[in-house]
Amino acid sequence: MGMKGRRILVVLATAALVAVVSATAAFGAHRTDPGITSTQITIGGTFPLTGPAALYSTIPLAEKAYFDYVNDHGGVNGRKIKFEILDDAYDPSKTVPLTQQLVEQDKVFADYGSLGTAPSLAVWKYLNQQKVPQVLLATGDSYWGFSYKTYPWTTGFQPDYPGEAKIYGKYILKNLPNAKIGVIYQNDSYGKNYLAGLRVGLGLAKAKTMIVSAQSYDVTQTSLTQQILALKASGADTFVVFATPSPTITALATAAAVGWAPTQTFVNNVSAVSVFMQLAASHGAKIDGAISTGYLVDATVPSEANLPGIALGKQILAQYAPGLDVKNQLTFYGLADAWTMVYALKNAGKTPTRVGLMNALHNLDPKKAKNPFLYPGVSLQTSFKNGSHDNFPLEAETLVKWSGGGAGGWTPFGTVYQGAR
Amino acid sequence: MRWRIPAGLPVALVVAAVLAVLPFELSGYHQVLAAHVGIYFIAILGLNILTGYTGQISIGHGAFMAIGGYTTAVMSHYHHTNLVLTLPLAFALAFACGVLVGIPALRFSGVYLALATFALAVSVPQLALKFSKFLGGSNGLETSKTVSHAWLYAACWSCAAILFVVAWLLLRGRTGRAFRAVRDSELAAVSTGISLPIYKTLAFGVSAAFAGVAGSLFVIETNGFAQPNEFGVILSLQILIGAAVAGLGSLRGVLVGALFIGLLPEISSSAPLIGSAHGQDVVFGLIVIAIMILLPNGVAGLLARLARLRARA
Amino acid sequence: MVELARRFTIRERRPRQARTGVSVPVLAGLAAACVFLVIGCLSSGIFAQQTVAGLAQGVIFSSLALSLVLIYRATEVINFAQGEMAMATTYTAYQLTRWGLGYWPAFFLTLVIAFVFGVVVQVAVIRPVQHSVIAVVIVTVGLFLLIDGLVTWRFGADLKFMPAPFGNAVYHVGDVTFARQDLGTLIVSIVSVLLLWLLFKYTKLGLAMRAAALRPAAAALAGVRVNWMLAIGWGLAAVLGAVAGLMTEPTQFLQPTMMQAVLLYAFAAAVLGGLESPAGAVIGGLALGVFLNLTGQYVGFATSELRLPIAFAVLLGVLLLKPTGLFGRKKVRRV
Repeated sequence: MGMKGRRILVVLATAALVAVVSATAAFGAHRTDPGITSTQITIGGTFPLTGPAALYSTIPLAEKAYFDYVNDHGGVNGRKIKFEILDDAYDPSKTVPLTQQLVEQDKVFADYGSLGTAPSLAVWKYLNQQKVPQVLLATGDSYWGFSYKTYPWTTGFQPDYPGEAKIYGKYILKNLPNAKIGVIYQNDSYGKNYLAGLRVGLGLAKAKTMIVSAQSYDVTQTSLTQQILALKASGADTFVVFATPSPTITALATAAAVGWAPTQTFVNNVSAVSVFMQLAASHGAKIDGAISTGYLVDATVPSEANLPGIALGKQILAQYAPGLDVKNQLTFYGLADAWTMVYALKNAGKTPTRVGLMNALHNLDPKKAKNPFLYPGVSLQTSFKNGSHDNFPLEAETLVKWSGGGAGGWTPFGTVYQGAR
Repeated sequence: MRWRIPAGLPVALVVAAVLAVLPFELSGYHQVLAAHVGIYFIAILGLNILTGYTGQISIGHGAFMAIGGYTTAVMSHYHHTNLVLTLPLAFALAFACGVLVGIPALRFSGVYLALATFALAVSVPQLALKFSKFLGGSNGLETSKTVSHAWLYAACWSCAAILFVVAWLLLRGRTGRAFRAVRDSELAAVSTGISLPIYKTLAFGVSAAFAGVAGSLFVIETNGFAQPNEFGVILSLQILIGAAVAGLGSLRGVLVGALFIGLLPEISSSAPLIGSAHGQDVVFGLIVIAIMILLPNGVAGLLARLARLRARA
Repeated sequence: MVELARRFTIRERRPRQARTGVSVPVLAGLAAACVFLVIGCLSSGIFAQQTVAGLAQGVIFSSLALSLVLIYRATEVINFAQGEMAMATTYTAYQLTRWGLGYWPAFFLTLVIAFVFGVVVQVAVIRPVQHSVIAVVIVTVGLFLLIDGLVTWRFGADLKFMPAPFGNAVYHVGDVTFARQDLGTLIVSIVSVLLLWLLFKYTKLGLAMRAAALRPAAAALAGVRVNWMLAIGWGLAAVLGAVAGLMTEPTQFLQPTMMQAVLLYAFAAAVLGGLESPAGAVIGGLALGVFLNLTGQYVGFATSELRLPIAFAVLLGVLLLKPTGLFGRKKVRRV
């Protein structure tokens, strides 16, 4: 063979090599899950950016800020996260087509962080049938934790509402054994599940005697005075509020306005954001001494100012989402949720797989998954090993008490309740 | 008697042919979108019969959709009824409700009727919350089966085709003439012997029945999930807007009206600046206002104007 | 022209009853209801509290119902965007206070801005379609979406806060409490009704506006600039809406959805009182508020889910029994 012949041989060999390599690469590419490329992971979720629940839109924006931060710091093992935020206005008839779009058009790796119980219920059968992870949902209902057998691709995130209400029940039994409890609750599953949890925490027998009045309200009401007056007339001295933010402020302000002075008030965690409490105080509510729960770090609590999570959160928000208010706890909710997702993605395999993601979320080890945005003593924990099926990532909560009136804030007290359920 | 070929038949046949072939070209997700348009088609058709042909304004058709939708959910959830069978059930129940509403509605007209039907649209979803044990409350009620995208497309457009033919037959005959007489002048209609109560109530019933079927398909489209938030006031308003864009009093523009309501949110969500959620509302509001100002008789009116121009030319 | 003027003057001289539509049965019924309420308040503490709370709730409905009634009376149109217009003007006041203006200067400047806003909306958007009831309904719906989207885009959906016009003081009379803010809103509403009455009865402008609404063609012949009158009607209604929004903000807080529920109840209140009667709007609102609270307290079946349906049952009942409302004039259909 002459010089020319050898050159041709080299070219042919290189071509053959390239062909084989790209063939194997292509073959390999077919085996990654949808939404995974060599440089990117695509996830998406449905959120109420408009409509009555739009005040929760802070959450996906904070989550996006965290993902942007992670993308600028190496991403997830070199892959950047693309997070699609779609608006379903809390309407299941929109959630369904949008979720189908995410799965079938945008081919997302996972449905992440979607907000709302009814919207999530509308799509969980579909997502599980399609074997698409439906993870870290932003709702405190307990269905996500309990239903791992029928819906193995679904998980929640935050401590569930019934669990939180149980804590209040137990606290009342221990510290206010003669309390006469008056409850105001939203007339949908949000409020009803909270009330059920309170009853469980008190013990059903005691619940019958201690809860002297339970008033439901509808979200379309413009005033809650009728219900608050009924609670006052029942002689209740312990006021429990299971309401979303706006009605919570109204309930607290109205209680003061009608001259009812319960000795102890409990405010559910979702509405206990400092900004809302201050708004209530500015409308005359007497909130000093009110009790709620917390599981996130709080930028409004002076004693927490030096926690690494606070500094990190402030830095991330300042750089990637300056429009968000760091004092609004919903931002830290988003950061904590997003942190958990990134942790799970990093542990979902060198090339993340959906099965790997679910394994990571089902086996969160508190010693390894140290989420800086969680209150000290609260940690992520799930376990599907050794026959256990703990599918609730967060169960621990601390009690917090309000002091300082209209310019005050929450202070954690007591020990952290582990295993709220 | 010689059969006259109806004016729009060629167009209708072409559209039907396209619809028959379309699903094979579309991805699953786009099939759902197309089915969505079909659902609005049926609802708009129904509203047009009521408002366009007898002049009775209704801003409450979301309520009839809710009735149809919950019928499907309840029958399928508790009795495992075949989803296809729930459609005629929804039709019948919604028809009955429409008649029940139509009877007191005889006393109202214009703005007052609009308010009365609006009251209906607001109140019916609340009933699902009130009777939450039976109707699922805020967690919704699920059918026992879900369907594939192709099934949904086929069901929606078959119903749309059937109901379109039904509407067309109804409106071209004596009933249609009676409807139009009622709309144009109640006094003249009465003096020619047309019974106002019968025809006005009939229109309400038929219109509601169409909305009921649309509602059933709507629930089936939503993965078989019926929940109060799906049937809010916005839904009734969208159907009214769709009917106005289509052009009241004519069947010709209904498809365009349905396309408008069904696809505009989808299209505007991918537009750059206004692609945000709020941007969509702004765009939708602007376009609705513009259309009502520029094309007061909707697409049908535009087509009629074009036809006249062509005739003159 | 003289004939037309005389026709109008003759109407002025008719006895009060026919003009305002207040009939003896309605007055008697209202009097009976008042007696019932007074007896109830005296005999039961909780009854009295619920009644007063109902009045406080109803006063919010009244304030928005007033602007609905004004628009209907001036232009025979139902404005579905009334609540959103009120909300938008409230956000305007908020922005003014953020720019350093004091509360009351911002309040009055907002009223001026609201007037201009109302006029512009009528001229640009309503006038081209005002011949068709359906078209107007749809256009106001489009306005609803447009305004809602714009405000949320600009200000976001989170809760904001403005100082309350009349402060947070609460008064106690025996068992009953009421807020200074509620009293203030009631007084503002009554003053608005009085001002409207004065406007319509004693001013040339008011006369021209009524003429433009009732008999546009004849009024035009009499030299009334009908289109201008309709625009002014919308401007004034927008002013009333701004007042309603500012009075409502202390209890509903500043959020894009703040007036949506209020609008629904305001429709019921306006129909109850009579769509053409400002006084009816106020009384309708108060009555509705009291009715809702008392049924909520004493009727077991009337749980919170049914609150809105009950308000609309009242609306439907009124439409069935006396369509022109408590204080509306009976319309005679001329063949």
